[in-house]
Amino acid sequence: MFDRRLINYFDWGLLGITFLICVMGLVLLYSAVSVDESAFQISIFYKQIFWYGLGLVIMFFSFVFSYKHLDKWAPVIYICSIILLVCVHLFGKHAGGATRWLAIGPFTFQPSEPIKIALIIILARYFAHNVQKTGITFRRLIIPMVLTAVPFFLVATQPDLGTAGTILLIAGSMAIFAKIDRRTLICSVLVAIVAIPIGWKVLEPYQKERVLTLLAPDRDPLGAGYHIRQSKIAVGSGLAFGKGYMQGTQKKLSFLPEQHTDFIFSVLAEEWGFAGSMFLLFMFLLLIAFALNIAHGCRDSFGTILCVGVSVMIFWQVFINMGMVMGVMPVVGMPLPLISYGGSSVFTIFIGIGLLMNVSMRRFIKQ
Amino acid sequence: MNSTKVEQHRNKLRNRRIIVIGGFLTFLYVVVGIQAFYLQVIEGDILSKRASKQYQKSMKCQGKRGAIFDANYRELAISTSVVEVGMHPMDVKSKDEKTILNKHKLSGDIARILNLNQNVLYKKLSSNKKFVWLDRKVTPMRAVTLRSLRLTGFEYDSSYLRVYPYKSLAAQVVGFVGVDGYGLDGLEQHFDDELQGNLRQWTIIKDRMGRIFDRREACSPGYEGNNLILTIDSNIQYIAETALQKSVEENNAKCGLAIVMAPETGAVKAIAHYPTYNPNSFNSFPRDSWRNRSVTDTFEPGSVLKVFLIAAALESGLCDPEMIINCESGQYRIGRNVINDTHSYDFLTVHDVLKYSSNIGSVKIAEIIGAQALYEMLLNFGFGEKTGINCPGEVKGLLRHFQGWKKIDNATISFGQGITVTPIQLITAISAVANHGVLMTPYVVQAITDENGNIIKNFNPSEKRKVIMPETARALMQMMNAVTEPDGTGGQAVPVGYTVCGKTGTAQKINAHGTYRNCEYNGVFVGFSPAQSPELAVLVVIDEPQKHHYGGVVAAPVFREIVHETFNYLNIPPSTPKEQLNVSNGVGEVGA
Repeated sequence: MFDRRLINYFDWGLLGITFLICVMGLVLLYSAVSVDESAFQISIFYKQIFWYGLGLVIMFFSFVFSYKHLDKWAPVIYICSIILLVCVHLFGKHAGGATRWLAIGPFTFQPSEPIKIALIIILARYFAHNVQKTGITFRRLIIPMVLTAVPFFLVATQPDLGTAGTILLIAGSMAIFAKIDRRTLICSVLVAIVAIPIGWKVLEPYQKERVLTLLAPDRDPLGAGYHIRQSKIAVGSGLAFGKGYMQGTQKKLSFLPEQHTDFIFSVLAEEWGFAGSMFLLFMFLLLIAFALNIAHGCRDSFGTILCVGVSVMIFWQVFINMGMVMGVMPVVGMPLPLISYGGSSVFTIFIGIGLLMNVSMRRFIKQ
Repeated sequence: MNSTKVEQHRNKLRNRRIIVIGGFLTFLYVVVGIQAFYLQVIEGDILSKRASKQYQKSMKCQGKRGAIFDANYRELAISTSVVEVGMHPMDVKSKDEKTILNKHKLSGDIARILNLNQNVLYKKLSSNKKFVWLDRKVTPMRAVTLRSLRLTGFEYDSSYLRVYPYKSLAAQVVGFVGVDGYGLDGLEQHFDDELQGNLRQWTIIKDRMGRIFDRREACSPGYEGNNLILTIDSNIQYIAETALQKSVEENNAKCGLAIVMAPETGAVKAIAHYPTYNPNSFNSFPRDSWRNRSVTDTFEPGSVLKVFLIAAALESGLCDPEMIINCESGQYRIGRNVINDTHSYDFLTVHDVLKYSSNIGSVKIAEIIGAQALYEMLLNFGFGEKTGINCPGEVKGLLRHFQGWKKIDNATISFGQGITVTPIQLITAISAVANHGVLMTPYVVQAITDENGNIIKNFNPSEKRKVIMPETARALMQMMNAVTEPDGTGGQAVPVGYTVCGKTGTAQKINAHGTYRNCEYNGVFVGFSPAQSPELAVLVVIDEPQKHHYGGVVAAPVFREIVHETFNYLNIPPSTPKEQLNVSNGVGEVGA
């Protein structure tokens, strides 16, 4: 089973970029948690190192077996993930106005993170089996729509609009990549436009506030607009080269919300400036370029679509998170991949990257 | 083969799609990059300012203002700590969240603590202004009580309040400080730079909750202003003010002024004004009463100027004390003008011209020595120039150049009309006579000390010039001593057991049109005591007395009282009545 070529084809570049981003993440996290010297804050830093270590193990298990087995196992993985999501609704831990976590011993776990991977795998399987020259027609889209809708509603009702939106974006991107029949595509776009006002009514008041804040940031500077305003101030006051590592005043004086999780990018932007922000953005761009390159080099449809799925998952999370921090996206719960603190998020991305490596190392194998 | 071709075609299409999607994703990242550029480079400065605005607060504080002490280190002016209490009416809430505030009750509580009107306070509390001052002079104790109500929305700024513990005592000399802490009058104004505490500015950093990170004590030592030590002795000042007030009230005078000086040094021991004002509430007194008239106002000295005429006469060598002057039986015509004497005399010695204050005798002496000699002597004694006393607002008075004098000017100036002097000039000039002919620069501030009491600047007595020879001074003193003999004009100036050299003056006041009014006079007495070795020189001016107007009647008793009480206070023993001034025995013996 073990093939020497697997090592020769191992994608060291992808691993290198991943490590580089992780190191940046740790450097940032250390600054973000060093506001005061309480043990709790510093423990976050050590926990994150632990998550990275565990993530590496998970990544290893994600590429040792051939991804082709996933084709068969996809429905099982999908159903298991859905069950976990249902469990959240049944026995989930309630915190901060939402039920997103499952408690496993001393740790808490967010099933809405791995469901993304499960969805990518099952959609990749479906689209790979249904590729058509003229594109997929509406009738053949029903199954992937149902496959997407189930986790979408389960996550959206937690409520976790950010992740739910990402699920839609991943599924949509994958479908478009797999090529959709032109008429079906136009119809879907029209339906989506009609759906916007309906969706607006379904939103919770605080969610509406966040969208309105985006359109008019100074509406309520101390209320709904507070996060965005402070975050923009932090990013902007970083100027071209930043205030220096550990010197961010917005961060130090706790004007920044959630500075070690969703808003960690503003710490980077404040302390390292435009140069630092662009460096990280470039790193992510490089990561996605590597991922798409793997998709490009893969010879079977399942592997290609799988890689594209993982790429767009990372891409959309980075895009939404940075957009949110810089005030062009509404505030939603959305961690910055590999950088934000949080085990579930780290594991999911590591699994994704593991899958990319899996495909990358086996691209020489022809059936 | 065919299948491979199809597959190749499919791969090509697929690869194109990957490139398209890659391009699209890159495009979206570029959008993020542009937004970062916009925020961090284009709007960066604005956002940086906004950042510093929310975490920085500029603080300013002024060190405590220095005190003003009298010669015995009694506090004439001190600064005490107060709290300025302000309120943001919209933010007034209780810190204990459960308590719901009743504005009526609350305004009652605050009004009681701060001693304010409850209705006014209620209105302030209900107003929609962003900020209102409640009271800017709250004692620290009351502020602590107010803080104990545990309310948000209040602001407490530490500040200082200027207090004058002796109220009106020497108020015109000390001056006062305005609401903003700057000296507005008197020494408070003149020495504002010294007294003013140093301004310290710093920036504090606060976090989102408003917690302040580097709070320092509001004003640490090292920022306090310097203190002034005056030559003024509040006991003598009190004596002078009391005696002056009595005379002004008894004579229904408009106002009065008295200066006490140590002739040897020029140190001013007291400057009394009446009516006076209380610098603690200067705004409720007329502005007129704030002025230190001893330096800012001039008057026609009248007969007291004859002292300096005689000085000029003796120095010129053209006259001696025993020279006989024809006094024309009380009427002397110069051109169209007629000079009168109150009592008519036929012939008087120069000595008696001063003793009986004969105007005609003075005119005759002035004619003998000439205008230039008189002018130069007056100039030498410091008339027509500022004395240089360290008080603000000093004026020169009017002494025209002798070349511009007409004959009648020469005549009237000889008895003190047609010339104006400030009270400080007059007392300084008389002190020169008492000081063996040496003119001193008068001063009221003897030293400046820092906040720890270390002297950082001393004002020593300073000699201005020698005006007359000691022998002349001696002769003048003998003549001035005669003035206060029972039959002289200044007989009432002598306290029991002491000897006095002095001169009375009664000058008609000039009105706005430059003519003299018959009913308005200045009653003046200037002199020093004891005659043998003068310890004190005193000037008393009673402005527009109604009952009597002669200086010998309205001013001389004030002189007597001030000298008497002050000598008691200073433990200066009375001299035996027999011990009279004897010029012929020479200078050495006189001092003994």
